[in-house]
Amino acid sequence: MLLNLNRMGPGRYVLYGIGVLTALFLLLPVAFIAALSFGSSQWLQFPPPGWTLKWYAAIFNDPRWVESIWTSVKVAFTVMVLSIALGLPAAFALVRGKFPGRTLLHAFFISPMIVPVIILAIALYVFVLKFGLNGTFIAFVAAHLIVALPFSVICIVNSLEGFDESTEKAAIVCGATKAEAIFRVTLPAIRLGIFSAALFSFLASWDEVVLGIFMASPTLQTLPVRMWTTLRQDLTPVIASVSTLLIALTIVIMIITAFLRRRYAR
Amino acid sequence: MSAQAPLVNIRNLVKHFGSVAAVDDVSLQVGEGEFLTFLGSSGSGKTTTLFIVAGFEDPTAGDVEIDGRSVLSVKPNERNIGMVFQRYTLFPHMTVAQNVGFPLMVRRRSKAEIDKAVKEMLDLVQLGAYAGRKPSELSGGQQQRVALARALVYKPRILLMDEPLAALDKRLREDIQQEIRRIHRELGVTILYVTHDQEEALRMSDRIAVFSHGKIAQIGSGADLYERPADAFVAGFIGNSNFLQGSVVQSQQDQVAVRLDDGTVIRGNTRHPLAANARVRLMIRPERLALAPSNDQVDQSLDVTLSDTTYLGDMLQHEVVTAWQQRITVRTNDRAAASSAGNALKLHFASTDVMVFEDGNRATA
Repeated sequence: MLLNLNRMGPGRYVLYGIGVLTALFLLLPVAFIAALSFGSSQWLQFPPPGWTLKWYAAIFNDPRWVESIWTSVKVAFTVMVLSIALGLPAAFALVRGKFPGRTLLHAFFISPMIVPVIILAIALYVFVLKFGLNGTFIAFVAAHLIVALPFSVICIVNSLEGFDESTEKAAIVCGATKAEAIFRVTLPAIRLGIFSAALFSFLASWDEVVLGIFMASPTLQTLPVRMWTTLRQDLTPVIASVSTLLIALTIVIMIITAFLRRRYAR
Repeated sequence: MSAQAPLVNIRNLVKHFGSVAAVDDVSLQVGEGEFLTFLGSSGSGKTTTLFIVAGFEDPTAGDVEIDGRSVLSVKPNERNIGMVFQRYTLFPHMTVAQNVGFPLMVRRRSKAEIDKAVKEMLDLVQLGAYAGRKPSELSGGQQQRVALARALVYKPRILLMDEPLAALDKRLREDIQQEIRRIHRELGVTILYVTHDQEEALRMSDRIAVFSHGKIAQIGSGADLYERPADAFVAGFIGNSNFLQGSVVQSQQDQVAVRLDDGTVIRGNTRHPLAANARVRLMIRPERLALAPSNDQVDQSLDVTLSDTTYLGDMLQHEVVTAWQQRITVRTNDRAAASSAGNALKLHFASTDVMVFEDGNRATA
């Protein structure tokens, strides 16, 4: 290697320093929140005067928190399933299709990532209101599907582009029908892309707050919306423990992902 | 080819892509057990023809018959044809054994039967020890051998190969060429092989179809193409060749006398009758030329000057220049002919080694 760490002499300690500072910058807020969630002070005092688990108990003793967690899971899971169900055929059309305006359509599928979320939210709000769907599960799913679908399309398009169509043809010459070739060869070959698409779709819905605020009703709130409304009323350490739970869940998901990738990447 | 009905009969095949004719009236027959190669440069229509036989492209016109029956309405997965592709097409998520067993699995064969056939095939391509590996753990050559095993495991009568060795380096390519030849001999499967490499075509095939601009320029054994090329294109495409310009003095059946631009008259052979004064091209293979001292009396000769000699081990290659400054390549193992650059020499050759073609195909040669 041109830049060899061991041959850099004392200069490398500067690099070490930059690395440590960057890591601290990224991780300190997370560590801070986690510490506060176990702190006994009701006013989010730092450093915490003592340690407690009562804020965690408060989450699970409050049916509104439990309910919003459950709502979030249901919405995110439905969004994930629909995002794959729509993203997969769309990706096939975008990669394999031969029709005019294909690149334009591709750009269109990605556009929800570029349009400011607040604009999407207002437009959707008007639309949902007109059909009397505000505050419903359907509205939540539809709104989150819009922001999740680009992730799904990008992931699956990328993996499908990396998959040589000759391989599918080879399966057909071998005697497989077109459907068998796709289900037994193409889809398993691009499964990492589909898996990433599912994961990103789930997370896109799971931590979405802006659209959620517009779609929510007092009785139907996702977890981020519930956190937002709670925060506006008072600053309680319960928020810190909810945040810590969310961070823990994300870490668990990332570990599972890394594990699956290592296992199936070959 | 024997007198019995051909296994594959391609009749007046035409394929248009938009306004371009990729395949333009191709007809050929392939006998049972034959190794036939489609040879041509890219865009000559050889791969498109192969893909029509496989069923991946529908022809604009014409027909493909296998065993006397048209297969155009038969789906590619029901044609029972084996195929090896140019690119590596092993299923990445399956082991070598699962790859080879795949055609039998989709045919709903029993596990015992699949296991037995897979083992046989992996032994055939000498990869028995690799059954449990994933494709990503194999070299390119090994992957193509597994692809070959996968294409043969269901015992198809016809095997299509689309430049299967194009991505491999030369040494490996020659090893696998021999292996394909051996497998062809052992199994007696009929092979349609596409390549742009004339050496590969000559080494492997029973017959070669030379493709040019969507048409078959000539079809025949390697010796046919080399010794009796149909036109200047085939002569230039197969082997090394020297071309000279001239016009016909007189022509009688396959014998023709041609006057070169400096007035020298040379006798040669032609496959088609030629009109007097027609512009023609003469082709002579470098190894059919001999050099003699300029004062020698020889039957048919051309005065040249030696410009360069290259030592090739088994042969000497001389570059000589004619009076009108055209370079000609001579290959000989006659060390006595060695001379120093700048010397005047006589180039001589038999009239049977001079092939005369109409000058119509210059653009394609």
